[in-house]
Amino acid sequence: MAFYTYILQLQLGGLRMARILSYLKPYRIAVAVALLLMLTELVVELIQPLLMAKIIDKGIMQNDLQEVMKWGGIMVGASFAAFAAGVINSFYAAHVSQSFGFDVRKSLYEKVQSFSFANFNHFPTSSLITRMTNDITQLQNTVFMSLRIMMRAPLLIIGGLGMAFVVNVKLALILSVVAPFLFLFLFWVMGKGGSMFKEVQEKLDAVNSVMQENLSGIRLIKAFVRRKHEVKRFTGTNKDLRDGTIKALRLMEVTMPVLLLIMNLCILGVLWFGSIQVNTEGVKVGEVVAIVNYATRITAAFSIFSWIIMAFSRARASANRVTEVLETEVDLADLWDSRKDLTVNEGKIEFTNVSFQYPGTAEMVLEDISFKINPGETVAILGATGAGKTSLFQLIPRLYDVTGGIVKIDGHDVRKMKMENLRRKVGFVPQEALLFTGSVKENISWGKEDATMVEITAASVNAQIHETIMNLPQQYDTRVGQKGVNLSGGQKQRLSIARALVRMPKILLLDDSTSALDMKTEAKLLGALKEYTCTTLIITQKISTAIEADRILLLEDGKLLAEGDHDSLLKTSGLYKRIFQSQSGEENRNYA
Amino acid sequence: MLKQLKRPFQYKKIPLQLDEKVSLGKKAKSKDMGATLKRIWTFLSYNKSLLFLVLLMVLISSALALLGPFLVGVAIDEYIVTRNSDGFITLLAGLAVIYVFHSLSLWFQNYWMIGIAQETVFTMRTKLFRHLHKLPIPFFDKRQQGELMSRVTNDIENVSSTLNSSVIQVFSSLLTLIGTISVMLWLSPLLTLITLIIVPLMFLGMKWITKRTGKLFKEQQKNLGELNGFIEETISGQRIIKTFSQEKKVIAEFHEKGEKLRRAGFWAQTYSGFIPKLMNVLNNLSFAIIAGIGGIFALNGMISIGVIVIFTEYSRQFTRPLNDLANQFNTLLSAIAGAERVFDIMDEEEEFKNEKDLKELSHIKGEVEFCNVSFSYEEDGNTVRNVNLHVKAGQTAAFVGPTGAGKTTMVNLLSRFYERDTGSILIDGQDISLVKKESLRKNMGFVLQDSFLFRGTVRENIRYGRLEASDEEVEKAAKLANAHSFIMKLPQQYDTVLSQDGSGISQGQKQLLSIARAFLANPGILILDEATSSIDTVTELKIQDALQELMKGRTSFVIAHRLNTIQNADKIFVLEEGCIIEEGTHESLLIHEGFYYQLHGKAAVGAHA
Repeated sequence: MAFYTYILQLQLGGLRMARILSYLKPYRIAVAVALLLMLTELVVELIQPLLMAKIIDKGIMQNDLQEVMKWGGIMVGASFAAFAAGVINSFYAAHVSQSFGFDVRKSLYEKVQSFSFANFNHFPTSSLITRMTNDITQLQNTVFMSLRIMMRAPLLIIGGLGMAFVVNVKLALILSVVAPFLFLFLFWVMGKGGSMFKEVQEKLDAVNSVMQENLSGIRLIKAFVRRKHEVKRFTGTNKDLRDGTIKALRLMEVTMPVLLLIMNLCILGVLWFGSIQVNTEGVKVGEVVAIVNYATRITAAFSIFSWIIMAFSRARASANRVTEVLETEVDLADLWDSRKDLTVNEGKIEFTNVSFQYPGTAEMVLEDISFKINPGETVAILGATGAGKTSLFQLIPRLYDVTGGIVKIDGHDVRKMKMENLRRKVGFVPQEALLFTGSVKENISWGKEDATMVEITAASVNAQIHETIMNLPQQYDTRVGQKGVNLSGGQKQRLSIARALVRMPKILLLDDSTSALDMKTEAKLLGALKEYTCTTLIITQKISTAIEADRILLLEDGKLLAEGDHDSLLKTSGLYKRIFQSQSGEENRNYA
Repeated sequence: MLKQLKRPFQYKKIPLQLDEKVSLGKKAKSKDMGATLKRIWTFLSYNKSLLFLVLLMVLISSALALLGPFLVGVAIDEYIVTRNSDGFITLLAGLAVIYVFHSLSLWFQNYWMIGIAQETVFTMRTKLFRHLHKLPIPFFDKRQQGELMSRVTNDIENVSSTLNSSVIQVFSSLLTLIGTISVMLWLSPLLTLITLIIVPLMFLGMKWITKRTGKLFKEQQKNLGELNGFIEETISGQRIIKTFSQEKKVIAEFHEKGEKLRRAGFWAQTYSGFIPKLMNVLNNLSFAIIAGIGGIFALNGMISIGVIVIFTEYSRQFTRPLNDLANQFNTLLSAIAGAERVFDIMDEEEEFKNEKDLKELSHIKGEVEFCNVSFSYEEDGNTVRNVNLHVKAGQTAAFVGPTGAGKTTMVNLLSRFYERDTGSILIDGQDISLVKKESLRKNMGFVLQDSFLFRGTVRENIRYGRLEASDEEVEKAAKLANAHSFIMKLPQQYDTVLSQDGSGISQGQKQLLSIARAFLANPGILILDEATSSIDTVTELKIQDALQELMKGRTSFVIAHRLNTIQNADKIFVLEEGCIIEEGTHESLLIHEGFYYQLHGKAAVGAHA
């Protein structure tokens, strides 16, 4: 029964596997050559015992040195032919598998780049990375091995049996009776072992995650003196892992002894019947020797076989994980009727009855929001965490689609614009300043590839980061990001502001991106921003920043609670007044 | 078509410097391999008798593996060639017994070895984990977490898989090798010598190949690592890439990196692909040599056909272990290197080492005194110099000052995460270096800057403050911490499972949870490291309220990053470059018009601007 379910699984997995294997198509000629070469090797392997039988029967038994030399020479020649085939095969197999991996990886990456954020929520970053690296390496190796040895094992078994029949039908029958049973046995063990190893993997993950949690929380654990508690917790999961591993491995290790025993008993049978037939039916001694030899080779092939089944089931899992990404439907793309001619010229933003919920969730994050922002205006957005500020931002460059209502830029529904045209004119500075590996210059010009040094410097000066950059070891060529210099949070924030400014955006979105700046720098920065003819939206926690804006939008629980400038909000909004008082402290009260 | 056929031979070569010594040998020499092996042995030998049994089984199975083919040869020579059937049955029965025992001994050795290996890995893991928890904080601060993580996971895994397979394989390979050659020598020394011709060929070939593959694989790993980093960066940077419409640019860059990896991978795979081919050709060659030359010998009556059969079987049996040994050597080396890295950690000195005779600190009132305390971190110049301070039981003390002034250091010294260099720190008049560290920390409660959450429910996370607390107590603590209301809004309230990075709740809410934790712990001394990250105002207010409540009636130390939160402190210590330069209450410090006044002035001006 287990066997049937296993086959069924194989077929289901086969569909996805087929999709992955279609990536081999461009290399079909190379694949064919590789397989052909492998077949050459196989043939040599298979005729070796036959040649030996000739040496014994035609040479030694007949006392003919010439024959011995002749067949011996053929054997040596065949070996070299096989070697040459094998070496050339290496080139083709490596080429096919590496190019295959390269192609799959590339289309996977392209797919991921086209993902919407809703798509991203489905796949954690770490999982996408493993899919693009480990899983593809796994597939790549499987392809490589298939082109070299995997096909060999089953072919060797079949070919060996066939050759045995050529040599002597009756003796070969013994082998052919046993072989199918061994196949079934192997499949059964592997199917069972496969699911057991899956459990082991889960247990290993559990152990590692406790480890990781403990390493990152070590200060807290020490502070609360929870050493023993943690050790107890760990020992539990560790024990689980140990017991699971032992169980799985012990099952797998049954295969070899059983396999050997059965095949060895086959050899006994061959000897027994062989001896009878040599006496009665004139079977030659060399034939008996050859069959014994085939039996050993088949045994060796069987033992590789178990390894192959394991590799294939792993490859199947990888193929599943890769196709899962490839088959994901991207739910945010340019509409078929989007207009090429629309771009952002002025920076007028208009929300009309906008409501929004994240795909796959039940809760409305924004509800019935309407407001208008004129070109060049600076607007601060204030509100508690979870009030929907960042969500509101994301709708402007259409990182998500609205659930209801319309977002218009310069009077056009953002869904009618080409995403690239829309986003080209938007400068976005996210909450967490993220820099890419590369030089400072590269990071700033990231926003505009053809930016001149003058433009880059201007952007940095306005972002209040130019002086800091000039103090770095290689100024604008200093490397940041991985393996680069460490920048403080505030420096990173200013760099990412420079990156947005260099594009000369029509709409600038600052998502709490000045939080790590001191008051003076922030004031300077905001002053410099006034030079840009763009509409600016600032999410902030600091009242002092909000006061600077032309207008303030106060959000609470996804609704637009109040709207107006500082003075009017102080009069009309209780919440705003409370926030203001809490932040400005005792002596600032007079200011109001 | 022709283009496709030519393509595999058109990859650009990767320049390799082959004249330097093979790196493997160097690595092995540079560290004391013997000592590491010995230590692994002590782990393995916890169960000596079982290990002995395994070795015995390996011995038996190797011997039987030799005996089998030998008897087959005998059967052919004595019975089949001569057509003699007297005693043939006995021989076959004997052979059957040998086969059965061979399989049994294989099974037993594996069965036991798996147990031993897993037990060993289990002990190693547990020991390592235990030890990690005894290491002092500086150990963790000095190291990258990722690197440490890789040691406690990958390296141990490496040891585990090697123990599972390699130990048996190495022994049986060696035994088989010795046994095979002995029997072959005994049967026909001349034919043996001729067969052995392939051994030097094999070594030469292997050396030629591994010299190249080692470097190529390194190159491949390097490229893979770079690609990995690139993927990670561009996926976590999606928001930026999307809003800046730079998808095409990153795809092009990805393409370039992928191409590099393809090239390195191609060469690594091609060269390493030569190995089995080499083994194959040598196998086939030796087979041909034995058959051909053995045939000539047989004609001259020097050996029998049975011997040829035995030799052909045996020649496989000694090229295979040689190949295995060569393979195992690499895994073995990497496992030893892994074990070494694990042992490195186990050799780190633990922080509770000399504590046996020290007192427990219990039920403190909370008076804290620093007398001439100085301290400096090894790696950077940050220091605390000659600090004196006195805080009475129940008072609230605050540390203020610019980044790097030593605020956090003060707290690190008080909790003995770091040890002061000179001077003394007293709690209730008791020098804290004379009490057990854990008893000291049990009297302290911490609300740390990065509110760490464990994977688990909200309830479990709060209960971490006092493991034996009842559900009612947990909820009471949550209420005191102003956390109850938001918890009740979570999908499963107190049973909501939080992920480790705490996604699903905000930074501010995390802080409320860690305050609840501190309420539950009910410590004599409270240490509070204010969060720097921005928290929305409403939550911030809740946090402030909760903290005021928490600080009531206990000695509290606040590391303040924003000044408006500490105006009610009984004592404010202003730090600069590791020294206390001012001390007093908010009002007195403002009147004094010193550094604090300046700091404060800045903030106030900012608010007015």
